[in-house]
Amino acid sequence: MEKHKQHNLWDKPWGYVESFIIGMGLMLAGFAIEASSGSALTLSIIFPYNLIILLGYCTLLFVAHKWFSHLQLIRWLTKVPAAISSISLVTFMVMIMGIVPQTHSDNYLINLLGFNHITTNWAFILILFVFLSNLGLVTIKRFLQFKWSNLGFILNHLGLFIALTAGMLGSGDLQRLTIQTQEEKPSWIAFDEDNNPVELPFAFVLNDFRLDEYPPKLALVDNESGELHFNDGKNLYLIEKGKDYVFGDYDIKVNDFLVTSGRIGDRYAFVNEFGAPPSALVQVKDQRDGSLVSGWISCGSFAKPPQSLKINEQLSLVMTIPEAEKFSSDITILTKDEQHIKTTLEVNKPYKHEGWKIYQYSYDDAFGKWSNTSVLELVKDPWLPYIYIGIFMMIAGAIYMFWIGNTKINTQSDELD
Amino acid sequence: MNWISFPYYFAITIILWAVGILVLLYSYKKEQFTKIAQIILALGWFTLIAFVVKLWMQLDRPPMRTLGETRLWYSAFIPLIGFITYGRWKYKWFLIYSFCMSGLFLTINYLNPETHSKTLMPALQSVWFIPHVLVYLFSYAVLSVSCIVALKGTYELYKGKLNLAHLRLADNLVYIGFSFLTLGLLFGALWAKEAWGHYWTWDPKEVWAFLTWMGYLIYIHYRHFHPNKSKQALYILSVAFIILLICWFGVNYLPVASNSVHTYTQ
Repeated sequence: MEKHKQHNLWDKPWGYVESFIIGMGLMLAGFAIEASSGSALTLSIIFPYNLIILLGYCTLLFVAHKWFSHLQLIRWLTKVPAAISSISLVTFMVMIMGIVPQTHSDNYLINLLGFNHITTNWAFILILFVFLSNLGLVTIKRFLQFKWSNLGFILNHLGLFIALTAGMLGSGDLQRLTIQTQEEKPSWIAFDEDNNPVELPFAFVLNDFRLDEYPPKLALVDNESGELHFNDGKNLYLIEKGKDYVFGDYDIKVNDFLVTSGRIGDRYAFVNEFGAPPSALVQVKDQRDGSLVSGWISCGSFAKPPQSLKINEQLSLVMTIPEAEKFSSDITILTKDEQHIKTTLEVNKPYKHEGWKIYQYSYDDAFGKWSNTSVLELVKDPWLPYIYIGIFMMIAGAIYMFWIGNTKINTQSDELD
Repeated sequence: MNWISFPYYFAITIILWAVGILVLLYSYKKEQFTKIAQIILALGWFTLIAFVVKLWMQLDRPPMRTLGETRLWYSAFIPLIGFITYGRWKYKWFLIYSFCMSGLFLTINYLNPETHSKTLMPALQSVWFIPHVLVYLFSYAVLSVSCIVALKGTYELYKGKLNLAHLRLADNLVYIGFSFLTLGLLFGALWAKEAWGHYWTWDPKEVWAFLTWMGYLIYIHYRHFHPNKSKQALYILSVAFIILLICWFGVNYLPVASNSVHTYTQ
């Protein structure tokens, strides 16, 4: 809207200056609460209170739209300046989160204003409230005057509103537990994020934990500093028998590679026992003077020491500890009605049981593939279906947006309708 | 190693593209050459795709983990965006831009042959991996063009004669890019639920991806309701792209990086 006459502060309708004053005022008030009363706020509103709050909030927005849209406050909340200022201020708050680590801090100012826990910071909550109210009101407005040309708008805005409100209010009902399972021993005591024990209505027995490893890699290290010598460790080679590699000035040939081995005198031989590490017989040729060095290297394990090969005064060749390719647990779930459910859990392949999603979480990494414990994670999120409705609406909205593009620009007034 | 044959594929692709772009430039004068140019460009692209397929088969994992591999995908993907966008919006210059950009990234890979690690951590082994990364790279590719348009617009504004068609173009690109940015973000959320048990954990990369999304959201809303305030819109677009760059490259250098699940440099 172009300016035709002098617009004084707080003249109606409120514009950008007023919007930012309101938004920043709320933010400062939020920081003041943080500074004075500390970070007492935790968003753990549980069922049914979160549902009541959500329904109450939606009703309030509807009532405001229906009967109070003549009020300056409500009018302002349905307009662009409120939208852009609240998006900007939410962006500002999230940017703090993107810069200040969200962990314990010794900095006075960070602690005072709660910069290290933005998601539960009053300033963030207040500004998000304005953002959501604005989003909710414009969505109601468009929804009530539905036209097919508004489909993209409704999918995007309503989808975001549903996903955000369900995600935030539902977070109080979200349960994340971890449980250690052991071979041949049922476990049913899990621990929550604050390490409080939680008794489960079912138990787990670990039948087998499996871990596949990639072959170990070759690396050159500096004898003095112990640091990787070649390109920050990015260009490490996987060891394969019979392969030739070029490492800067050195030609390296892998003459033998044993997946599990044991040291016998000054050489390694195939051994298949608990904790037997891989080893390789390598030959290193210095391209500059043609000198040859050869010998065994091994990365060692929790049971055996590593073995490196000294090439010259400056460098040694070492074998890195193999990386996990995949790990999985064969488990049995024992239920109270004496059912035995057998399943395999793998990273990215969780299992659903009685409203819980059960994930392969970790293992005893000191023992690696010889670990006989497996850590599982259990997640219960009853609000997830609603969040997914929001997410899928936004996905549909994004596809709509791609295909239609912005054909309607340049015809709108300064108002969100 | 697997990249040994890259120079041959690289040479064939680059030569075909150079010829294709010349023919395409010529087609501004003689329209009937457009088809021929497209065929030559497509042949170059298929050569590149043949390499990607071969590399993928030899690696036993999607070649999408290291920076060099994402560069390869970016260069394989951008011409496809060029073709799709050309089919939808008929921007011939965008076709040229996309092939030049792709050629640039291929050249970087040619000059910096990285011997690529074969390993892929378990959390990344998922059906979501490919759509998540590709959709993001598509989006970044389109949004980087919108930034170039914004810079051109800012220069024109400085000279006092802004071509409004450029701003419209930027709008279209942002709409395309933003829709894919949204898809990438949401695919990431769906994947995170399967891999880590929660769809959103405010991981630093997530935070900056969200900020990027918000940046373009501000632009879209601002443009939609203030179509005449070109200067502010151009500034917003430039700032949004800076946030995108922080998200793509910069997060690793921020104090928050240490706990990110998205740092895969080792």
